[in-house]
Amino acid sequence: MDHAGGKKSAGGFLTREFYLGVFLVILLIFLRFTTDGFYSLNNIMSVLNIFSYILIASIGMNMIIITSNIDISSGALISVVCIALAAIGKTGANLWVLLPAGMLMGALLSGINGLFITKIRIPALVATMATTQIFQGILPLCIDGSIYDLPPSFTWLGFEAKIFGIIPASVLIMLMITIIALIFMRYSGFSKKLYAIGNNANGARLAGINVNRTVVITYLIAGAVFGISAIILATGSQRVTTTMGSNLEMTFIAAVVLGGTSTDGGSGKVMGTVFGALILSMVTQAINYLGISSDWSDAVKGVIIIVSVIVSATSFIKKKRMIPLADATAVPEVQAK
Amino acid sequence: MKTQAKHFKISFNIILFFIWLVLFTGIGIANPQFFAFDYSVGVMLRSAVEIGLVALPMTLVIITGGIDLSVGNTMVLAAMLGGLAAIKYGNFAGFLATILIGFFCGLLNGLIIAKVKVSPMITTLSTMFLYLGLARGITSGDSVYAYDIAFFFGDTSIAGIPAQIFLYAVLAVVFWVILAKSVYGRKLYAIGLNENAARYAGINVDRVKTAAYVLTGLVSSLAALIWLGRFNSLKYDAGTNFNLKVITIVVLGGTSITGGYGDMRGTILATLIIATLTNGLTVLNIPIGAQTIVQGVVLIISLISLAIVNQRKNRKKIIKVEAPATH
Repeated sequence: MDHAGGKKSAGGFLTREFYLGVFLVILLIFLRFTTDGFYSLNNIMSVLNIFSYILIASIGMNMIIITSNIDISSGALISVVCIALAAIGKTGANLWVLLPAGMLMGALLSGINGLFITKIRIPALVATMATTQIFQGILPLCIDGSIYDLPPSFTWLGFEAKIFGIIPASVLIMLMITIIALIFMRYSGFSKKLYAIGNNANGARLAGINVNRTVVITYLIAGAVFGISAIILATGSQRVTTTMGSNLEMTFIAAVVLGGTSTDGGSGKVMGTVFGALILSMVTQAINYLGISSDWSDAVKGVIIIVSVIVSATSFIKKKRMIPLADATAVPEVQAK
Repeated sequence: MKTQAKHFKISFNIILFFIWLVLFTGIGIANPQFFAFDYSVGVMLRSAVEIGLVALPMTLVIITGGIDLSVGNTMVLAAMLGGLAAIKYGNFAGFLATILIGFFCGLLNGLIIAKVKVSPMITTLSTMFLYLGLARGITSGDSVYAYDIAFFFGDTSIAGIPAQIFLYAVLAVVFWVILAKSVYGRKLYAIGLNENAARYAGINVDRVKTAAYVLTGLVSSLAALIWLGRFNSLKYDAGTNFNLKVITIVVLGGTSITGGYGDMRGTILATLIIATLTNGLTVLNIPIGAQTIVQGVVLIISLISLAIVNQRKNRKKIIKVEAPATH
């Protein structure tokens, strides 16, 4: 809503993303001069690895939130996919089997959410809460704690696949998905439907959009993306546990929110999510290198999100107040008081 | 319409009651130990008191159309700072600190939601990180241990019944009165149904909402005392998933997550159902994974039945009214 208005006013575009970008650059420069090791190759690569799986999943989450739904179950879903992939990987399957398998599993599980939300009309928050419990419950029944001793064919992506021998291949996957998402969310007709549904689902329905189908497809796409995220997460270690993805969903949602997507739906850009995810995935390492105990990282994340949300909310209130002032001719005496 | 809504609410509560009765007797017949007073009150009810307590004010919050994801971490933060204060300044200081922290955590949520107009979900999501982080940072990951007042709340029996059950009973009645009988309760419903209309009707929406979140914070701090007393020690991550459990109970009790509809008696019954389920399945030696699945399935079934009842109600409404100006 505010975005549609902001886009048209001159110089109003890129506001949220622009400020986030500026904040990010200042943060990076600040870290350059105050810390020693933050820009070491090892640290950059480890930050990039965390960044890649958080961003990939956040892009999916962003799509869901734009339709004014939400997915609490993504963390549990990623855990399930991780374990399933490990079970497949144990047989010696390589990435070209794992990747489609992970995407398919993610899409199917996430499709369940989509069906609950559209067909039975359970609000997304509650529906995904219920599926979270189901996903979390399935795992300990199938696997006792963890799958370990995974063959090198499984951990190939996490350990050996490096571009120029340095950059982890997950970064390449992340870049590809980000670029596809940027183009898709900017130019495709489908993305316009997402914004329409998020702004006004009834209006969208009257305009001839098949809302239910669009929402289910959104969940399917997001699920596939969560699956990719799960692959990066799972192949990063020799041992895949049943709690790999636990509580990650809150980080994804936080990244999306920090990136300026309103949980009311109908607004939000991929670029914002990119910045949001990068800031959140840097916090822990940055704090470490600043000499503060990493125990404070969650508090810092919380403060960053609160401040950014409050700042954008107050600017929104100002904007809202200015509109009636500008064209309020009917009630001048109210404005005067 | 009003009588219809009332009729429906009562019938849904009766459904909930029967679900509970079936579960309770079913599990009891499978394992008679379950019927023993020591178990059903001393273990089953006692284990659900914290979640049940927080579910009471959470019902108020959800009826206004809001949500509070930070309850679990408010609880842990309050318990930890209270525990630290108790070590330094004694028992009463610990108690006071716990309550105050709960109050301020709730107040912060309420102010950001009501005054800054950030959506409740985002606000409490970010304060969730904040409270979790503060608890973790301040204790640097160490446990905090219980002190006398916490033991009084969480680990004493009065006439054979754990003390916290009396507290829960009193608060359940208080919150039922607040929601069903007080002006404040009516205001909550009004806000949940249509916030703007409530504002134009002269309701101080900001204050009513803030109060709901403050109540949630306060009750969370009480739950913190009980929790600390019951488990003897607490780590910063103890509150993970607590919020979802509480919301599950509220939703299971028939409160609409979109606001405007809900009933405290439903929440209380749902607390009983969840308590019976978790403990019953433990008694029957069903693995914990299956227990979470069962909880999820129960939640889904209750949501589907609620959706069906609602759909039927809406259909009735449309046929009955037929006037164009309903929406």
